[in-house]
Amino acid sequence: MRRYVVGRLGQVILTLLIYITLVYFLLQAMPGDITMMYLSNPKIPQAAREELRTQLGLDQSLFMQYISYMKNFFKGELGVSFSQYPKPVWDILMERLPRTFVLFLTANVLSFYIGFVLGKVIAWRRGKAIDYAATVVGITFWTAFYPLLALVVIWIFAYNLKWLPLNQFIDPRLWSTAPFTANQVFGNMVYGAAIVGVGIFCIFYYLLRGLKPSRRSHVQAWSLTAALIAVALVFAQRKGILIYIWDITRHMILPVLTLTLINFAGTMLLMRDSMLETVQEDYVMAARAKGLPDRVVRDRYAARTALLPTVTSLVLSLASSMSGGMVTETMFSWPGLGQILFTAALSNDYPLATGALAFTGIFLLIAHFVADILYAVLDPRITYTGQSGV
Amino acid sequence: MNELVPTHEIGPTSLAEPIWKIRWKLTKRSLRQNWEIFKESRIGILGIILIIAFGIFGAMWPVMINTVWDPMVYDPVVGFDPMIMHPSPPSASHLLGTDPIGRDILAQLMYSTGREFLLGVLSALITVVIGTAVGTAAAYYGGFIDTFFMRIADIILLFPFIPLLVVVGAMVKLSFLPFAIIMGVLGGFGGITIILKAQALSVSVRPYIDAARVAGGSDFHIIVSHIIPNVLPLSFLYMMFSVTSAILSEATLSFFGVLNIDMSWGMMIHTADVAGYLFDFAKYWWLWAPAGLAITLFCAAFYMVGRGLDEVVNPRLRKR
Amino acid sequence: MDTLLRLEDLTMHYKTKAGWVQAIDGVSFSLDRGQSLGLVGESGCGKTSIAMSIMRLLPYNAELVKGRILMDGHDLYALSDEEVRQLRWKEVAMIFQAAMNSLNPVYSVGNQIIEAIVTHEPETSEEEARDRAESLFELVGIPKERMDHYPHEYSGGMKQRAVIAMALACNPRLIIADEPTTALDVIVQDKILREIEDIRRKINMSMIYISHDVSVIAEVSDIVGVMYAGKLLELGPCCDVFKRPKNPYTYSLMRAYPSILGEKHDLATIPGEPPNLLDPPSGCRFHPRCDWATKECREVEPPWREIAEGHYLACHNPIKTQQVKSCMQQETAKGGEGIGASFGN
Ligand SMILES: Nc1ncnc2c1ncn2[C@@H]1O[C@H](COP(=O)(O)OP(=O)(O)OP(=O)(O)O)[C@@H](O)[C@H]1O
Ligand code: SF4
Ligand SMILES: [Mg+2]
Repeated sequence: MRRYVVGRLGQVILTLLIYITLVYFLLQAMPGDITMMYLSNPKIPQAAREELRTQLGLDQSLFMQYISYMKNFFKGELGVSFSQYPKPVWDILMERLPRTFVLFLTANVLSFYIGFVLGKVIAWRRGKAIDYAATVVGITFWTAFYPLLALVVIWIFAYNLKWLPLNQFIDPRLWSTAPFTANQVFGNMVYGAAIVGVGIFCIFYYLLRGLKPSRRSHVQAWSLTAALIAVALVFAQRKGILIYIWDITRHMILPVLTLTLINFAGTMLLMRDSMLETVQEDYVMAARAKGLPDRVVRDRYAARTALLPTVTSLVLSLASSMSGGMVTETMFSWPGLGQILFTAALSNDYPLATGALAFTGIFLLIAHFVADILYAVLDPRITYTGQSGV
Repeated sequence: MNELVPTHEIGPTSLAEPIWKIRWKLTKRSLRQNWEIFKESRIGILGIILIIAFGIFGAMWPVMINTVWDPMVYDPVVGFDPMIMHPSPPSASHLLGTDPIGRDILAQLMYSTGREFLLGVLSALITVVIGTAVGTAAAYYGGFIDTFFMRIADIILLFPFIPLLVVVGAMVKLSFLPFAIIMGVLGGFGGITIILKAQALSVSVRPYIDAARVAGGSDFHIIVSHIIPNVLPLSFLYMMFSVTSAILSEATLSFFGVLNIDMSWGMMIHTADVAGYLFDFAKYWWLWAPAGLAITLFCAAFYMVGRGLDEVVNPRLRKR
Repeated sequence: MDTLLRLEDLTMHYKTKAGWVQAIDGVSFSLDRGQSLGLVGESGCGKTSIAMSIMRLLPYNAELVKGRILMDGHDLYALSDEEVRQLRWKEVAMIFQAAMNSLNPVYSVGNQIIEAIVTHEPETSEEEARDRAESLFELVGIPKERMDHYPHEYSGGMKQRAVIAMALACNPRLIIADEPTTALDVIVQDKILREIEDIRRKINMSMIYISHDVSVIAEVSDIVGVMYAGKLLELGPCCDVFKRPKNPYTYSLMRAYPSILGEKHDLATIPGEPPNLLDPPSGCRFHPRCDWATKECREVEPPWREIAEGHYLACHNPIKTQQVKSCMQQETAKGGEGIGASFGN
């Protein structure tokens, strides 16, 4: 396992280097001397220009510029933003990364789970009305025009029903008197949610392991979970950040919903196809012959192995899910990586765009890596030496 | 030489006909069989019907503009109807209303249909040609070529297309043709190569490939006449999915205004957006609903055909 | 002896695009407790279909046209799904034709056996089930340390044994073994068959062996049924059927496998192809390939009748024992050209 992870990590780092190189040269190759635009930008004070010129190494050859860019990149020096001068690119990205991360993770986990369950159910009832209905609805969402879908969601839930805020990350009126910054609260929120999540996972893992967990352990697991969440909420309340957490959560719901709607169908359709193949496997027939209840055959036999190719395809679709995420962020003015990338691109903020693009890549690479490890954990046939055992 | 068997003895039909005729007959037969299977898929049929409907709709454009519609008023890009206020809701003279600068929505929709077909099919064709060529070559030659193209595919899979094209588009303002080509090329070297390579690999280990090699067939000949025909069905399948992704990307980028395209479904919504009409979503529905629906239905149609084809290509998906 | 399983005139067809596949047609037999039945026939004659009918695991396009399957006198097809589910494995277990693939790749082998036990015996704890699985592993000869290994870590023979252990897990009264050993080499095949037979005798279980290999069937079964194109042609005690075959098909089948008759002769293939079950031949389904066929065979379906105690037959012109002998002598003289040649068909 260790060797497998280390090997994959090596590949990841290599791919990352190539990726950043490509991004660098791609933006260098853009027509119009971007660096000149940089220097002639009126927002930058005269005094800073000379400094910038040497900092950018414009007097050096392209190759040397590249080398110094790479060096600086790994030192976390991505230059200074041009539209938000003199804020360093690194700081801007660091501020936004967690927001994108949370949005992306929540929506992807949610859509994967929903897609998995739906795909499983409709495959099990192949040819029934629910199969056709879910497939057509799924394809419609999957091929929907994202910006419009976002607008429709906003129009229904925020504009008409007024249940949730229209857009943005926080409600400025509430926060004007807040003793914390939004980022502090958000950070605490993410840590808290991570701890609670791990806690719930452990509870379920330990209480419900084995082939036939008793009724009592189900009750125990659920009540412990409720208790854990209650403790977390009380804790937040005592610290006085509960209403702020609630505000951020409220702002998160619609973007997460949109991104989930965009993404779930991909998993659902894949899961359906993958499951249609596994239900024909002999071991599924054998499981039926063993007299296992229908649900057990479906979940533990057909769906469990059908999950594997679905996870593989999830990895392949992460990038497109990121694209959807960017559109969603922009439509909801959710101040994440995607939105800043978009703004930076439109305002020709070259260092910020490069940095955001590079970060998006890093982000996706890490997601790939995690999904790969997950796959290896799910499939006992993977021998951790990199090849499949079959 | 005289010992050669006279052709008529081998059989009246087998050699009397030229080889291409036999091939054509075989192709026709397999097409018919595949159509029988495809027909079973209701989703696939629905997709075909939608595509045909869009085809008819798009083909009506030249007819309408040359007969019924006055080009001064109904031109999708520079038309203007001076008689009414804009944007005007659907009326007898403008069945789907007009946009904020006085152009007829139905005319825009029709005009764009043909262009979307062109964009989708062109870029999908490029994707599939590259994907098939590279995938087959990687499978057949293996070694360095294989590793090289697979790594490229890995990296392209890492690129989030839309953000990347937003950045590029914001700087270069891509127009119609370059955009189609970029989408096609990026797609072609990306995930599709991996899938088609796997397929080509499973073909190239079959005995008749070895037989052809022993019989002295050149690499090119073997690839073109033995491996590619077996990869093509899968290529065709992925072509459908490529159309979907090309159209969706175009619409999204047009919506954000980073493409240099005079008219498309995405542009129509973009126009409504920059003029601020999307805030009053329900009131000005004709500004976004026809175009939005067209994008979704068009993409869904190709996707559905792809799924129908999937059942042809992948027998394990067929109804038990 | 009491009857465990009875098939009465079982007729089952598959619906396909091309029409109805008449996979089982009027099959009747009964099996006593502790008895073993061998079903033998060429590929595609409906053996697996019979097994699946008994498990009530038929695919969606199968239709029971007529007939009944009685288990302990209860009609299997009158029970509810849930009742059948509880019956499976507890009463009737099965070793699948593709035993290699009947283990789920993502769970350990032990886990899959324990699962069967705790599903059917809710009062058994997982630890007890595990102990039982361990002793089953010992019984079939797999080291019990390998219980927690995954199927892909097993060799083919071990998987086969594991599947046998799994079939035994709930002490069923009947096990259907569909080609339990075809994927194995002959030596292992023999050994495993003998082991199954030992276990079966020890716990007085009934068994249905399914195979296309007459020698395998002859070795392990008390009674044999010979199937052809969805029909039973002959059924009776093993020694009767194989020593004095009455149906020409039984005879040809025996000649297609070595050394059943205990005499040396060249292997004879049965000329012709098994019939298309979409449109089986009229009269006796075997007539196009039968050397004894007469006009009657082509037109009238031979009735299923008892010709001796427990020996059933469907044939218009049963072979007399002399015929077999003379036929064989003739062959030895001619250097054994096969049954088709000797009768000049
Ligand atoms: N699901 C199905 N749909 C249609 N026809 C089927 C189906 N399953 C089996 N058949 C047909 O029914 C006939 C009997 O099949 P079956 O599997 O019972 O044969 P078998 O005797 O077990 O053969 P083998 O020795 O090859 O396993 C065959 O002709 C087969 O083609
Ligand atoms: S009934 Fe006739 S055709 Fe059928 S097995 Fe007997 S002799 Fe042969
Ligand atoms: Mg069989």
